[in-house]
Amino acid sequence: MTSPRTVRVAVSILVAAAAVAVGCTSDDSGSSDASSGGSSAGDVVVLVTYDSFALPEDAAAIFEERTGAQIQVVASGDSGTMLTKALLSAGAPEGDVIFGIDNTLATRAISEDLLEPFSPAAIDTVPEKYLLEGDAGDRLVPIDTGDVCLNLDQRWFTGQGLALPTTLEQLTDPAYQDLTVLGSPVTSSPGLAFLIGTVARYGEDGWQDYWQRLEDNGVRVRPSWDDAYYSDYTVSGGDRPIVLSYASSPPVELVFAEGAFSEPPSTVMLDSCVAQVEYAGVLAGAEHPELAQELVEFMLSPEWQAALPLSNYVFPVVDVTLPPEFDKWAQRAEDPLTVDPATIEAGRDRWIEQWREQME
Amino acid sequence: MVSWRRSRTRATPGVGDLVVVVVLVVIAVPVMAVLVRAVRPDGVWSTESITRILGSPRTWRLISVTIAQAVASCVATLVAGVPIAWVLARFRFRGRSALRTLATVPFVLPTVVIGAAFASLLGPRGLVDVRGTWWAIIAAHLCFNLAVVIRTVGASLSALDPDQESAARLLGASPLAAARRVVLPAVLPAIVAAGIVVFLFCLTSFGVIVILGGGAVSTIEVEIWTRATRQFDISGAGVLCVVQLVAVLATLAVHARITRGASHGRRVVARRRARPPAGIGEWSAVASAVVAVLVISGLPIAALVERSLRVGDTLGLANWRNLGSVTQGTALRVDPAEAVVNSLVSASIAATAAIVVGVLGARVAARRPGGRADRVLLLPIGVSATTIGLGLLLAVGRPPVDLRRSMWIVPVAQALVALPLVVRSVLPAMRSLPTSLDDAGSMLGVGPTGRFWRIELPAIRPAVMAGAGLAFVACIGEFGATVFLARADRPTVPVAIERLMSRPGGAGFGQAMALSCILVLVCAVVLVLVDRRSAVDRGLDLSF
Repeated sequence: MTSPRTVRVAVSILVAAAAVAVGCTSDDSGSSDASSGGSSAGDVVVLVTYDSFALPEDAAAIFEERTGAQIQVVASGDSGTMLTKALLSAGAPEGDVIFGIDNTLATRAISEDLLEPFSPAAIDTVPEKYLLEGDAGDRLVPIDTGDVCLNLDQRWFTGQGLALPTTLEQLTDPAYQDLTVLGSPVTSSPGLAFLIGTVARYGEDGWQDYWQRLEDNGVRVRPSWDDAYYSDYTVSGGDRPIVLSYASSPPVELVFAEGAFSEPPSTVMLDSCVAQVEYAGVLAGAEHPELAQELVEFMLSPEWQAALPLSNYVFPVVDVTLPPEFDKWAQRAEDPLTVDPATIEAGRDRWIEQWREQME
Repeated sequence: MVSWRRSRTRATPGVGDLVVVVVLVVIAVPVMAVLVRAVRPDGVWSTESITRILGSPRTWRLISVTIAQAVASCVATLVAGVPIAWVLARFRFRGRSALRTLATVPFVLPTVVIGAAFASLLGPRGLVDVRGTWWAIIAAHLCFNLAVVIRTVGASLSALDPDQESAARLLGASPLAAARRVVLPAVLPAIVAAGIVVFLFCLTSFGVIVILGGGAVSTIEVEIWTRATRQFDISGAGVLCVVQLVAVLATLAVHARITRGASHGRRVVARRRARPPAGIGEWSAVASAVVAVLVISGLPIAALVERSLRVGDTLGLANWRNLGSVTQGTALRVDPAEAVVNSLVSASIAATAAIVVGVLGARVAARRPGGRADRVLLLPIGVSATTIGLGLLLAVGRPPVDLRRSMWIVPVAQALVALPLVVRSVLPAMRSLPTSLDDAGSMLGVGPTGRFWRIELPAIRPAVMAGAGLAFVACIGEFGATVFLARADRPTVPVAIERLMSRPGGAGFGQAMALSCILVLVCAVVLVLVDRRSAVDRGLDLSF
């Protein structure tokens, strides 16, 4: 039978484990202040965003100096996941500001009293085309823009002696069989943007047929942009030379290469580009509502805006100087694919459902 | 017997019954919340979600795939497990009990850890890359469920009268024919029962599929999570919760029917004595069983440890050292060590609650066998983890009581999941307590409270210990419900592992492996302490 000694041994082992664990954390409290600083209320503003968001450190430092408040980042998955998580905790948010809701999901963000109305003073500096109308416009502040485009590995195509595809239609050509990898519209925001782009191009009646042809031609769908870009794209060592990414990816490759090559390995297929705008908003029920407003306001400042291209590989929405790599290598579609917000709102959930029905 | 139980009823009026009612409410609230969202999506009654989900061919494809993978996993586990169980029951050899323990370890490990182990074994940089295919998932299910078959079928095999088989051999039957016509019919009920338990676990499998599926494969349970947390289709998720509820309850009903039928059958006559293997044939059977267990149960855990120590192309402790800090480039924004603390605290609270509630509730159930209390306490088995998680999130997130920020909500979900394990451990011990004990105490003038503390509890302590061990292990590994409820600044270890593994790249993967190793260690310590009390057998007993 269980002796009291066994019980004591069990309890002491578990207590010891807990103690070791606690020891580990307190050892390191110096470097993890940002995550445990919630106790000292008032000097932290929590930014809810997606995994791949990178805080522009220098700009953040300026904000922290001005306001005395630290920016703490809480990331939860891809942007769609982040928004859903925020919606499920609407009213009891996990942070003060949410950033990374894009134009494909903007209307969903308005559905559950997720956001407080807020309009920063600098909103006048943002071009009209990025602004939303109605309820969404009162709550969502445009912060950056970047087209979602297919990227092509130029060296791979040269090596194979295959011409670079230039149109969406060519992706269904057997010559380009098993070459494309996309992010899923269910879980990844470029994936959803691309799906909406195909609706824009082929219409409500034709997009499913296009996807069928894509599937017949061996398209691969990955749950997230990270998976597609970092695991499957030939430039990252994968086996697919056509990947769904951003118009800004080629200049970013150059920045990352740090002089390893003089021009980017990738180029953009302009025909595939879909316009994407990312917004920020103040979460309803935020613990630090005033700092939240200050942070959103600061996101439109020249400091933050100018830092966006090299931290998050997107274009600013206000007029600031672009880094030279961007100036030289970023290609932007003259006339990217777009669908107006009302049509997106009416169709989005149905399109996703139909897409899953067809592709999964 | 009966009079004793009556006297107990009078002895503790109310407390146990109140506990049962509380359990009923705590389980009913999330289920109702999910049901209501299914038929009343935006505050308006509507059958739109039901027709949308049930009218979609994709849902039916998912249902068939879910059942098919459960059947495949079940068959694979039986094919591997029954021969191993036979060898372990029949032969005595050095290391037999160690082998049996090794085969049991995966069963008490968190499913996320099993997923992580197989991701390191069968993922990129592993032996073969079959991540995102059903092969990896079926292999992981086999590893996790092997203990179910070995324990259940093994118990039945050792209870078999060896004379029957000898008699068949004497009458001229070949060894194979004797096995087929004597042994197999005798252990068939145990094989079927084990098969149904494995089927049920695979039907509601979540952590393994989330980690190994890579978004490419899905089941009903995973689809509930995808719809709720990716598509923001709460009503659709609710409909699928109901589908899952029906599937689980139907499986439990089949299990109840079959095991009831089996218990009317033959009773144990003689315990089969294991003997040393003799001859090449028997030795090679033993060797195959040893290799099989090492490959199925040992290899994944070894791969886990190896990967946690791999830094680039060399071995090192970097992944372990980094656990104390937030690492850039991973999807986790608190340091992993903090998740360990969260998990230990939360699991301790939850397991304590499950034991208190389980023991008090089991007393009520024990005095009325087959009564309502029985069924209420086992209800959480019938409700899948994602349903509990989503339901609690929906239920507590409504004003005036918004508990989503409360740190108690995760332990509540974990306690709910662990409760049936405690009850299953404690109830048989309580039922077998002799009446005379209680009566003697009563005659000696010990009051009801004293009798509980000084007579009843010491007598059932082994069972309580076993239940506590199982409950703690279940709580610390809980993923399906916790993933809905744990907030970004307070992840538990399984949630942290999933977050770390959700992004490709080396740093997060290594840390996930190190965290998994910590959970293996914690669970192994608990298992070693309770295994002698055969806790796993109790945990496996679904029949009441």
